[in-house]
Amino acid sequence: METRRKFLEVATATALAGSLAPTVAAAEKPKKRIAIITTLWSYLRHGQHIGDRFLIGYPWAGDWHHPELEVVSAWVDQEPTAADRKSREAEYGFPQGDLSQQRAQEFGFQRYPTIAEALRCGTRKLAVDGVVIIAEHGEYPTNEKGQKLYPRARIFGEVVKVFEQDKRAVPVFNDKHLSYSFSKAQAMVSASRRLDFPLLAGSSLPVTWRMPEMEVPYDSRVKEALAVGVGSLDSSGFHALEALQCLVERRRDGETGIRRVQLLEGPAVWKAREKERWSPELLDAALSRADIVKGLTLVDARPQDLTTPGLLEHIVPEPAAFLIEYRDGLKATLLMLNGAVGDFTAAIRVKDHPHPLSTKFLLPPDPNVAYSACLVHQIEQMIVTGKAPYPVERTLLVSGLLESALDSRFQGQRRLRTRHLDVTYRAPRKSQYCRV
Amino acid sequence: MKRPRIAAVVTEYRRYSHAQHILDRFLWGYGWEGKHHRPEMDLVSLYTDQTPEGELSRSRSQLFPEMKIFPTVAEALCRGGQQLAVDGVLLIGEHGKYPFNEKGQHLYPRYELFQKIVQVFRDSGRSVPVFNDKHLSWNWDWAVEMVNTSRELGFPLLAGSSLPVTRRIPQIDMPLGARVSEAMCVAVGGIDGYDIHALEAMQSMVERRRGGEVGVDWIHAVKGVAPVMKALEAGSFDSGGWDPDLFRACLCRSHRLVPARQGFSHHLPTSKEIRGLMEDKDNHNTPVLYRFQHKDGLKMSMLLIEGIVHDFTFAARLADQKQPLSAQFFLPPREVCNFFSPLVHATETLFRHRRTPYPIERTLLTTGLTAAGVESLFRGQVKLKTPHLDMRYQPTKASTYWRT
Repeated sequence: METRRKFLEVATATALAGSLAPTVAAAEKPKKRIAIITTLWSYLRHGQHIGDRFLIGYPWAGDWHHPELEVVSAWVDQEPTAADRKSREAEYGFPQGDLSQQRAQEFGFQRYPTIAEALRCGTRKLAVDGVVIIAEHGEYPTNEKGQKLYPRARIFGEVVKVFEQDKRAVPVFNDKHLSYSFSKAQAMVSASRRLDFPLLAGSSLPVTWRMPEMEVPYDSRVKEALAVGVGSLDSSGFHALEALQCLVERRRDGETGIRRVQLLEGPAVWKAREKERWSPELLDAALSRADIVKGLTLVDARPQDLTTPGLLEHIVPEPAAFLIEYRDGLKATLLMLNGAVGDFTAAIRVKDHPHPLSTKFLLPPDPNVAYSACLVHQIEQMIVTGKAPYPVERTLLVSGLLESALDSRFQGQRRLRTRHLDVTYRAPRKSQYCRV
Repeated sequence: MKRPRIAAVVTEYRRYSHAQHILDRFLWGYGWEGKHHRPEMDLVSLYTDQTPEGELSRSRSQLFPEMKIFPTVAEALCRGGQQLAVDGVLLIGEHGKYPFNEKGQHLYPRYELFQKIVQVFRDSGRSVPVFNDKHLSWNWDWAVEMVNTSRELGFPLLAGSSLPVTRRIPQIDMPLGARVSEAMCVAVGGIDGYDIHALEAMQSMVERRRGGEVGVDWIHAVKGVAPVMKALEAGSFDSGGWDPDLFRACLCRSHRLVPARQGFSHHLPTSKEIRGLMEDKDNHNTPVLYRFQHKDGLKMSMLLIEGIVHDFTFAARLADQKQPLSAQFFLPPREVCNFFSPLVHATETLFRHRRTPYPIERTLLTTGLTAAGVESLFRGQVKLKTPHLDMRYQPTKASTYWRT
């Protein structure tokens, strides 16, 4: 009986393919080899929830997908600090140390003390077919402008150095913005062009599910766009700006770059509405897509009309507005409305559509954070096909936009000319967000 | 057109009660199709069966004086006069302190309140559309009587859960006329409360199959870790379980899959890990399984395994398709509970156009399935023939879930 039960367990496990180890059938296929280069691999940090998916797979289109990739090496810059471990242990109820060592043992890859060694897997030549850089989270300084100085450009530089020395380059993914510095980001993109390797970067927001499904008609005349986000200006602001950019880049004649950027905070945000620097109608549309509403809704669950005059001013004590003027005349705005909502939403006015198009970028909750599966799918596609599914120029432009906005804030909310943001590109016609 | 006047007959109006979520949407409006929508009708009267401390009906009525509170159902419907004086009735008999019977059914007085409503209709010689939240009644005969009364008096009756009309991930529906051999829903909660949501979610999908709905032949419910694990390991519906591909698809559609392995944030559990989660001392949920078969052979499994998942997912085996069709019924966080928005919108259609956007037979069948599932458990987890569930109906051609 015991034997039969064991057999059934094994049989069911195989049927579920829930075993964390790759199935035998899958292992027979030759897989591309990748290195994971991350700042921190601990529970629910990007390094873990993105990195793990390459090891154990992820849900895709109603099935559990095991990537056609094999993690062969890793470089991990930091371990969680004692203070970080303590606070997160209180939050999650179990030990919160570095996970990379146990992952390496369980899944049979090697951690190396340097990036170069990880890429060469201890040999003298580049020994991987793809590099996944996840330099988000960890202890790094923050500058006077409020930018966290993640060493993405430095890490990328070390990767490129190996490519140059070994005279071979492979696809690279860079999580979130390329760098806190536009010039560093530009250098990263230039290196990828010079050495001719696919480079993909950015946030999960452009590729996660949308509620409802909504896409900007390709080549349409976009009149104005507005996104609503929450969280910090630097970290969450990046996600929201990429979500906004992935909509507007589909406009007629494509992306032409950004002429001016201004970041307003406090009452100036509401004054800008009076001066018609952003559209209340688009804000209404974006807010109508929110599923997490705060203010009095937290008290008695009432479904509020957040556009009631004076309400936002009351419940959003520290609003921020990113005012973006594109070189082709398009105006776009990101409003960070902590205290009003908990979602990332957007609205866009397109010629010949009587009402704004609007949607929510779905961010499924902890711990599954299923949105990162959508991003990992794109990374996998790039490494397997050798072609980036969407242009890195999107992330380059947004990296620069974010830096300039934080410059504007640092310089007293000045409206800045951004001649350097003359990034031009065409978005792919095919939608990239998840609809499966 | 004149703005319809609506009466609400509810058991309890407190934070997070169904009455609060539904009625508040009439008072404040809600996000719909890219703007804040205010129903073009007025909630003018309210009867609340229970008013515990901290309830909201009185303060809401102060904020919205046009919504007057009346001490009886009849007065609410007649707005203090002698004759029916509203154009529609919301009957929300969910939440409140009501007894449970020995079978575990919560004896919400939906039928009793419905009787009071139709008494006014009879006395006034006029009937208006009625919406009944969730299943019609815990008692099958009463549910049948409610539907028959609506036919006799000629008023449209809409009922059911918000699950069939909420958003889906991905945004898909069962293709009309599809040949479906087996379907499954993996969900949360317990009997006579959450089973109805899962059953309605499944039914809204499978009623679109070739031939439409033809009724249910038998049901077999079990609860507890041992029988549910036995079914999980059975390997097929015919051997007492379900098609493992459907279960796997459901788990893959979940966005709230509990990690069995510490330190992993998202992984597909093995059956051994599922057993471990079920037996975990911190998991106080008892797994429940209803297996039933429709008269055309369609095999169905409804599995409530809170503690393994925390959402509602669905999968179905379609003829000629290798991969199951699968989706998640999306339930946004409870602070706002926007899944009530499409339900309220359906009631607006009911009141404005005096027609039901989807058939009442769906909810009559799921009411019967809920009662039959509970009965099967009560009689010792035995298989029951369900000759009374010989219900035939056709679905609406157009999809009725929220996509806008």
